[in-house]
Amino acid sequence: MKEKIGIVDTLEERKPYITRKQEKEQEIPLACDNNSLAGAISQRACVYSGARVVLNPVTDAIHLVHGPIGCAGYTWDIRGAKSSGIETNRTSFSTDMKELDVVFGGEKKLSSAIDELVGLYHPPVVFVYSTCIVGIIGDDLESVCKTASQKHNIPVIPVKSEGFKGNKSDGYKAACDALKKLIKKPPEDPTAKKAPRSSETIKPKINILGDFNVAGDVWLIKPLFEKMGIEVIVSMTGDSTAEAISRAAEADLNLVQCSGSMTYLAKWMQMEYGIPYLNASFFGIEDISLALRKTADYFGSEKMKQQAEQILETEINRIMPEISRVRERVKGKRAAIYMGGPAKALTLIKGFAELGMEVVIIGTQTGKKEDYEQISYSVRDGTVIVDDANPLELAELLVKQKADLMVAGVKERFIAYKLGIAFCDFNHDRVVEFEGFDGFVNFVQEVDASISSPVWKAVRQRTLIPEAVESENKSGKIEKAAVAAGSEKKSGRMEKATVKEMISEENHATECKGILLKPKFLHQKSETAVESQV
Amino acid sequence: MTKRNYATVNPCVMCQPMGSALAFKGIENTMVLYHGSQGCSTYMRLHLAHHFREPVDIASSSLSEKGAVYGGRENLKKGLRNVINRYNPKVIGVATTCLAETIGDDVPAIIREFKEEEGIGDDLEKDIIIVPVSTPSYGESHVSGYIKALDAIVRTFAEKTGDESAEKVPNEKLNVIPVESLSPADVRELKEVFELMAGDYIFLPDISETFDAPLREDLPKIAQGGTPLFEIADMPNSQASLGLGTVSKNLAVNYLEESHDVPGYSVPIPIGLSNTDSFFTELVKILGCPIPVKYLQERGRLLDAMVDVHKYLYGVKAAIYGDPDFVFSLTTFMLELGMNPVLVATGSKSRDFEAKVRQIVEKINPEFEPVVLNGIDFDTLNDAVSQCNPEILIGNSNGRYIAKARNIPLVRVGLPIHDRVGAQRILTVGYRGAMEFLDRITNAILEATDTFTAPVQAEPTVHAGKGKEECVEGIR
Repeated sequence: MKEKIGIVDTLEERKPYITRKQEKEQEIPLACDNNSLAGAISQRACVYSGARVVLNPVTDAIHLVHGPIGCAGYTWDIRGAKSSGIETNRTSFSTDMKELDVVFGGEKKLSSAIDELVGLYHPPVVFVYSTCIVGIIGDDLESVCKTASQKHNIPVIPVKSEGFKGNKSDGYKAACDALKKLIKKPPEDPTAKKAPRSSETIKPKINILGDFNVAGDVWLIKPLFEKMGIEVIVSMTGDSTAEAISRAAEADLNLVQCSGSMTYLAKWMQMEYGIPYLNASFFGIEDISLALRKTADYFGSEKMKQQAEQILETEINRIMPEISRVRERVKGKRAAIYMGGPAKALTLIKGFAELGMEVVIIGTQTGKKEDYEQISYSVRDGTVIVDDANPLELAELLVKQKADLMVAGVKERFIAYKLGIAFCDFNHDRVVEFEGFDGFVNFVQEVDASISSPVWKAVRQRTLIPEAVESENKSGKIEKAAVAAGSEKKSGRMEKATVKEMISEENHATECKGILLKPKFLHQKSETAVESQV
Repeated sequence: MTKRNYATVNPCVMCQPMGSALAFKGIENTMVLYHGSQGCSTYMRLHLAHHFREPVDIASSSLSEKGAVYGGRENLKKGLRNVINRYNPKVIGVATTCLAETIGDDVPAIIREFKEEEGIGDDLEKDIIIVPVSTPSYGESHVSGYIKALDAIVRTFAEKTGDESAEKVPNEKLNVIPVESLSPADVRELKEVFELMAGDYIFLPDISETFDAPLREDLPKIAQGGTPLFEIADMPNSQASLGLGTVSKNLAVNYLEESHDVPGYSVPIPIGLSNTDSFFTELVKILGCPIPVKYLQERGRLLDAMVDVHKYLYGVKAAIYGDPDFVFSLTTFMLELGMNPVLVATGSKSRDFEAKVRQIVEKINPEFEPVVLNGIDFDTLNDAVSQCNPEILIGNSNGRYIAKARNIPLVRVGLPIHDRVGAQRILTVGYRGAMEFLDRITNAILEATDTFTAPVQAEPTVHAGKGKEECVEGIR
């Protein structure tokens, strides 16, 4: 059954999930949005995981996992989602079901556990996650939660996240369903269709959907909107409280960042409360600019538009020297993207464009047909697009596509490292902010550190053969000589003054295909095209 | 102490399938497949990858709703077929998750059916060996999952050696089977001892390469290393089995003794002076050969190190937590150093744990009465820490919340260690391991006290969580 046709050597049934963007081929025939293939070692988790990662950043909630210990054990404090106040969400609660609970049913234990925890923690809300065996033995979560809710007079919300009932996306939906139950009807007439407020006296309100405040991302985003005179009611679910979420329906507009997890909720809020939504991303200069401008345009206030432009001008001027410095060091390098959600994958394509880097592999765990269509429009010909990839496919792709850097999560990190390829974590585990202007600086610096570390030179020479050492030295010398003969600017770190000079010289923006900067931010003079350093 | 009866708050154990992976990954050319829903494999892969900093491939039968309702037979077969197709393993360990157990799939029967369909026999040389092990999450912990998997492996290979009437061919080898997962560095250290003393030995499971692989020219589909299969099959012919760990039952050692007349001996995991002494003494007894000079010198060096630091450690109150046998051996070492292990705890439910710990305390420092806890979560540990007031924590990285809240140092050891590097290289066994660990503990204490003479005076600072009021009152 093993044959070497197709893009990589893989199982027959996996082949439709891997494709290459070809010239003149508009339709990308990529299979996606199915359950993972048995034995294929998917990088995906389960429904429960989807629900858990979306809801977990609700800081003051009790997140009670109804199931055996493993489910709670591996997801303990799993997101680096930061809180500005209470941190109840970082504690792991479980009913730790044992054999007897499985045989006789776990409802009693669950209801006692809720009573116990409410008594100890006095939370404003309890989320009760169901796991695989709860679905099998048929515990009536709804009724246990309803009774507990009445007894304690707080929302006790069942999250229907049985692991086997679909894939991660279904978990996102289960989480949104739980959030829906927390959102209260606003005091105003909810049926009145929301129109953009043009009045400059009333402060418009928005929600940010699909930002989980990993490493404190939201704290770099909120102030931007506040400067534009907008109140951010709540970010869902990063650094959110039950109380803030309950007020979400008072918003005039929802900005959806993680479309995979939150579009469902946004659509519901539009239907239920007439709140429109816009897609936005706060990663990379192009997407942040777009997000601020779109929002200002939506509210139609000239003052707000001016404020947005002013923020952009100041911030971009502030960070551009560093972006340009790194760009000089990494441009032409080839990147591989493998993300949980498609929104992050898409915004990363633009981020890499801003660094003059080329995306050669892009994949997601939960992308849908529309997502992959959009991805295929955004990448160059020859880029491999893959859905629900597994380690062997990823490893072969990284080698075949000659990637210099991979951006993904922990499980993929060590695949890249073993292959001698630089890696950058854009997942739960990251400890520095990547969103907002300073976040993008952090990101590009990490890209630089990942790619430019001398460790890769050592790794390329994994086997110590004295002759090989000799020849490597020689070629090293040649390379050095070439650099010395060329532009001085290309040799490593530069003085600040030189960088500033360069910004005006370089045509940064035209190279970043489609970047939406105002003409005054475009750098006037053009240098020669980026020559690939690979 | 807060009394909780129903909810577990911050688990101090992992589940059974995870333990099985730790065992299976120490077998040559082996893949692991969890029969259950996709998430289990992903979470445990993530957990292990994080700890060992290695790629960890574990397949899943990816049961969906249909599988859960109608049984997972087809998914399991498909999973096996695909794993064989892609990874070409010699052994597949099939561990069940709670889902597969609850829907009642007869995994051994499905495997028999699969082997028939695919024409896979039982020949060790020619065929793929499939080892089923029943590891529902709701039964016991990762420790029992690990022990059960080792037992299943030995049974599978020991029964496959051919016809029952065949005479045993003694091989002069020594079987070594730890009941707790050791670090790759520990395994390397122990293998060196056996190479010098036993000459021929079989170490099961050997994770020294598979979970700590060197950077090679290419990335093998299955990590190289692991206990060779012919050696596992040869285990019934060995002259003896040495089990490491005395708290948990060593099922594989018992099986070899009962079914194959291989005498089984058990010593505590050789951590610290006396445990390493009994380890070497037992080896001398079994093998009849002297202890290599190298280790006698190391022993002297350890004693020298213990003398050097005895004043820094005397009376220092420590809380130790983790897996039962590991904690038992660590506690012994701490007692030898003159420390006060005021709190000794394991997350796994272990019947003999408390008795064993009390025994060793009685033996080394009878005046001393530690709090011993069994089958706890971190919240209970936190409450116990409030009562016992230790000055140092010794255990896996999940104790960092407690350590941080009380402003005391945490010396990381065990699994998982997600917030520091080098988990795979932490050496605790043997005289050398004792020296390294001794240095780590002493330096952590010196760092915390920032002095070379005074004993530790770390008072609990703000105590996070719900025990707050009592704790603050207690201090006043």
